[in-house]
Amino acid sequence: MQFSTVQPVFKLELNHKITPEVVTIAKYDGTHPCLTASAGYDKIIIHHPHGGMVSGRAQRSQAHGEVSELNLSQAVIALAAGPLRPDTGRDMLLIGSPTQILAYDVHDNTDLFFKEAPDGVNVITTGFFGKHTETLAIIGGNSSVQAIDWEGNEVFWNVVSGKVCAMITFDFDKDGENELLIGCDDSFIRVLKNNQFIAEIAETGPIMCLSPVNEVRFAYGLANGTIGIYEEGIRLWRVKSKQNALALQWSGDTLACCWSNGRVDWREGTTGRVLRRVQMRANAAAMLLADYRSVGAPDLVCVSDKGEVLGYPPYQENTGFNTATKSKPSEEDLLAITELFNKKQALMVELQHYEANAASGSVSLENLERPASAMPTNTRLQVAILHSPEEACLQLAVSTNNETVVRAALVLAEGIFESGETFIRHPQPKQLRSLLHVPLKPPRDVPVDVHIKALIGYPNSEQFHIFELTKQLPRFAMYQSFTKEVRNKGNSYVTFRITERVQRICIWVNQNFLLEEELNLESEETKELHINLLCLRDQSYLYMDFAADGQVKFSTHDIRLAGDLIQSLAVYLNLTDLQSVAQFPEAEKKLREEMEHVSQIGEMRSRLAAETAERAQLITALLPAAQDAAAYDLREMLNRYKEVVMLNEELLTGCYIRRSTQEQAVTSLKSLHTILQQAVRLRVGKYSKAVVAASRKAVQANNIEALIKIIQVGDSMIT
Amino acid sequence: MSTTAIKGNSHCNWGHKMDYDLSRIDYGICGITYPDTLKILPPSGQKMEQKFAIGDKNGVLQCLSIKDEEPVVQFKTLPGKPITSVQLASSLGTQADKIFTASGNEVKGYTRKGKVFLSIETSLTETITSMCIIGSDLILCSGRIVTYYRDLREYNSYECDDRVLDIAAFASTRVRLLVLIANKGAILLENGKLISRTVISSGPSRLTVPPSTHVTDIIAFYGAVDGRGLGSVVCLGWYFNNGNFHISVGRHDGSIQLYLVDMENFGEKPRLKYTYFCGEPVTSVVGGSVAAEESELLVATFSGRIFGLRSSHFATGAKVPQDILATRRGKLEVEVARLEKQTANEREKYQRNTRSLHAGLSTPPLLDIQYELLGATNDGWQEVRITSAVPLDMLFINSNKKLAMQTDTAAVLSICSSKEAGSDLLASVRCQAGTRRVWVKMREISNSSTESKLEGTRVLIYALPAGAPRVARLVTLKLPALPYYSSHEAVEKEERAWCQLEVSGNFSVAEMTSWLTEVLPGEFPDLLRIRGHAKFKSDNVSTIATIRNIVSNCSVEKSIRVEMSCDIPDNCCLVSFKQLENKFKQEYKKSKDIILKNAISMLDLDSSMNEEGPILCQDYARVWDSRESINETQFEELVETILQWYLDWRTLSLLENFNNESTKLETALRKNVKWMIFLKYSQKNVS
Repeated sequence: MQFSTVQPVFKLELNHKITPEVVTIAKYDGTHPCLTASAGYDKIIIHHPHGGMVSGRAQRSQAHGEVSELNLSQAVIALAAGPLRPDTGRDMLLIGSPTQILAYDVHDNTDLFFKEAPDGVNVITTGFFGKHTETLAIIGGNSSVQAIDWEGNEVFWNVVSGKVCAMITFDFDKDGENELLIGCDDSFIRVLKNNQFIAEIAETGPIMCLSPVNEVRFAYGLANGTIGIYEEGIRLWRVKSKQNALALQWSGDTLACCWSNGRVDWREGTTGRVLRRVQMRANAAAMLLADYRSVGAPDLVCVSDKGEVLGYPPYQENTGFNTATKSKPSEEDLLAITELFNKKQALMVELQHYEANAASGSVSLENLERPASAMPTNTRLQVAILHSPEEACLQLAVSTNNETVVRAALVLAEGIFESGETFIRHPQPKQLRSLLHVPLKPPRDVPVDVHIKALIGYPNSEQFHIFELTKQLPRFAMYQSFTKEVRNKGNSYVTFRITERVQRICIWVNQNFLLEEELNLESEETKELHINLLCLRDQSYLYMDFAADGQVKFSTHDIRLAGDLIQSLAVYLNLTDLQSVAQFPEAEKKLREEMEHVSQIGEMRSRLAAETAERAQLITALLPAAQDAAAYDLREMLNRYKEVVMLNEELLTGCYIRRSTQEQAVTSLKSLHTILQQAVRLRVGKYSKAVVAASRKAVQANNIEALIKIIQVGDSMIT
Repeated sequence: MSTTAIKGNSHCNWGHKMDYDLSRIDYGICGITYPDTLKILPPSGQKMEQKFAIGDKNGVLQCLSIKDEEPVVQFKTLPGKPITSVQLASSLGTQADKIFTASGNEVKGYTRKGKVFLSIETSLTETITSMCIIGSDLILCSGRIVTYYRDLREYNSYECDDRVLDIAAFASTRVRLLVLIANKGAILLENGKLISRTVISSGPSRLTVPPSTHVTDIIAFYGAVDGRGLGSVVCLGWYFNNGNFHISVGRHDGSIQLYLVDMENFGEKPRLKYTYFCGEPVTSVVGGSVAAEESELLVATFSGRIFGLRSSHFATGAKVPQDILATRRGKLEVEVARLEKQTANEREKYQRNTRSLHAGLSTPPLLDIQYELLGATNDGWQEVRITSAVPLDMLFINSNKKLAMQTDTAAVLSICSSKEAGSDLLASVRCQAGTRRVWVKMREISNSSTESKLEGTRVLIYALPAGAPRVARLVTLKLPALPYYSSHEAVEKEERAWCQLEVSGNFSVAEMTSWLTEVLPGEFPDLLRIRGHAKFKSDNVSTIATIRNIVSNCSVEKSIRVEMSCDIPDNCCLVSFKQLENKFKQEYKKSKDIILKNAISMLDLDSSMNEEGPILCQDYARVWDSRESINETQFEELVETILQWYLDWRTLSLLENFNNESTKLETALRKNVKWMIFLKYSQKNVS
């Protein structure tokens, strides 16, 4: 494959540095697309090659004739655009700053709305969602998502357990209505439908980009360099790169991927095979789809951080980008022949391996001169997973069935190891045995596939046999069962009622827990089930009691675990709705603290803002006074300037304080949202939705007691 | 610029225009091949189509012709020792159609029909790596020795300073040999005597002589190890097409290139016309009319693929009926399907064995992996290159010391957490699909000032192939403690302060050699000849200190008593320092500039992108203008090195190491003041 000589169909220079990922293309007049980007801290540039000089607040750029500049007084974090106003077909520009969101009608030079976003703004997207008939602006914050209409009214709000890094509207369940796909930094892709999370896909790193492919597929990119495509919720393929994917776009039946180092590649949709690639001259800032040439079909618009813009037409099969040369059938034969030889060569190598094996089959084991690559033919590899409470982890035991040793074991699993996805054990020569332990510590409760490659041979071998095995860790593998009778199960628990035979519960337990022996009911008549478990992470206890009357009680201090268990059980039992009663004193205490904290910070913030305004006003008065003084009394001038400097320093200090309170506010809000999210997960279906709505109301009203009540019993209004 | 353009035009006059759009057509597979073991035979009789011969690691020599795009075996020998060199020669007056092969210390001659007419076993101890034949004279290169045989009797021999890489003979009234020597350059021999010598700085690897030059001229092209950004040159050849002569280059990184050569004027730089990338090391590239009258480029690769590169119009055009290719494809498909079935059967048999109670012994052949460790360049990275005949899945690396690592862009390196919280390092390198060669660079994490080096670093690399066979080959490497050194010609023109270390004791030459591998890279051909005594001389006091540490450590391990004495001149630091005074000053300036650059960059000056740039004072403007070029400085390393010299000097001169003395020196160095005075004072005081 070659670093292709694909030429862009258009190319332009913006003469401005571009902040990566803060770029959008919008039709402010309804017809002509304009590239809009953040060029530095608080500056937005709008490129309008089709004339129609933007007037009003925007100023013509000195660096480029077709570019207007828009200066805001706040940092620009996110940009998006969409036809929010139902009466016009024009795109409105949405500008996200750390704490606010501004909707601006560029064409009319009017503000649509201005809204505070206390949870921060990370991502903005526009589109249709659910049954809503108008285009919504959806804002992803540090721990929540919020949708607003064109007048700035909140349409829905929900809590998310991580910082939102990517969002798209996408019809996930093919019912003709869009859902919201949310990619978070906690490595989950969540699907929000009708303000309920209907699915969550565990990924292996923070989700940095999402992009729709077709009706059933969407593409994703992670912070660890992985990109891939999901089809109907199942991963079709993924590949990993050292670079980070900045943007993904579906263009001409291929997935175009723009990497942060400025490389762009086009990949086959079904396999991820690279078809073409180009390298920009600088790091990438964005890649968007837009009909920037007005030819009727969208081109791929790549923007570098130095402000270079390159346009590529949709990739076409066979011809690539060159419409002139078509490959001849005989050329295809040549390629096929090369490919067949590749196969033949690989097969021959494998055959030689077996032949050499057969030839030496007669060599007896007693032979003293053991070749450097020898191994008994009946060597097998056995793998078991054990709980190790002493070391607070799981132990993967890898062993052979004879005197050969496990020279090294490579364990590939995602999200388990602190450093990357590979863990290697390579014992010192003196410690070589036929048994090797590999510690595993899954930090979160998700099922994990563990691939094991073990190198088996003799201690002094020059070549080792590779044995490969895959083992699946169940979701709740980190909990070890014990049989001791327990009276006091603590005062943290959640209870609910289900109508299901314990036999089925038994299957769920066996599937989701790693028990030393499979759980078997004593007889068909058994109606209740009690399981005691110990968490290897923090040595805390989990008791699950399924009573004969359908009453279920999960006792644990960890509200998150309780939620995970309920969600897992609900999916398994196919429950649409579930109400529960919960008692989590730890979470309640934390909630009180955070609520208190948030309101305190709120007060402090307004006080600080008032002080700042006051000082700023003073400075604006003092400065001309100092300048005036220069004309008659230099000493006076000096004094006045000194005052200005002092005030300025005070202002700066104030600014630092404000910034740190802002940071505190965000953290507090985030942990508050986390607790609410956990409370939501204790319920299923309409009950969980009700918790979201009720807690939003309670938070806005600053009603702590109501919030506690919601955690405990859900929203009691719904029955 | 303009002169090149004019030259370009004049070139077009003497050659026909040709297109460099070449297509690949695969002919077949043989075993692993060594460099330059594919040769095209001259045409015989009326036929224009030429046959070719190829020898492989299995010891099989095949002579093939191409008919209807398919190889037809003319003859094929039985397997034997690996064939390391293949040459063609003529019996007097006829065409060069006799095939000579070298394997181990044997040479065989075949007629074009495959009849053995010559078979000799020489008394050479090392493998023959290259040879040439002139009439009844046979010249063999093995190791560092060039041996001349006349009528199969040793006539004379010459021992070179380093390994012989390649040889060419120029025979007119007298026979002169051009010998390419590793790390050194080329020499010209006549009658076993050296008559001329050239130094080639970039490290030569291979040479080739243009066809049809005047016999009195000695002209040859050489390929280099450093490869100028591409892989090192493995093989060279000639390709003649449409009246244009090209030198063809096959490289270790899998690239094949054609350079247009002006045969009238060899001083002219050959111009690159074509590059193809085949993904694995290329071992032979030769031009000839193999499949048809039109010339094509015939290529052999390390893993044993043989394919042609020919003009597209000729590969797929009217000359080749399309159905021939389709038939060929069909045949191959059938063959691969048959092989798949056979492999599946064997695989099953193999699996069955693992369940059997009667344990046999499975002894698969060693994976074909080649590796080489390159000495460090001035940034301290040592590179290991691994080449495999089968695609690699991953490398797994263990070293007994912490190392910094880098790898290919096509691979993902991850340093893994090791359970033993020791000083060792575990890393994995995951390769892209189809990777057959991968490099890993390693560098010791410098904390040299705190601990003295007692041994080299042992690195184990397990290479895991992507597909079958499911075995991992272990490669063991030793990184020397002082990787910067490479052996060089003794030049003593400059005044240096030589530090000396003498070691005597009851150790053998072999023992000392093995100790030295802990310290220095490469081989030590003529360093040690005397048992029980060794002498080291260096102008770098730290080097002497390291050697002393390692030798004493090794001898303790072997419990051999050694006596060591050092002779360290008092002014050694000062003299050495004077050598790099200018460099030090430069780097100091550079380090200051970088600080300034970073500060200016923080101002975010270019966001406005004025035409003239920001308005700055002269000094700042200079830094700002050259901001792209000032990136890194070796100032820190230099300070470290000089401090180390000073400390080692104090230690070896049996002076106490006062902490504040070195701190003083460090401060002086960092501020670029008074260090010279300090050194002068400090070292003079002792004497």
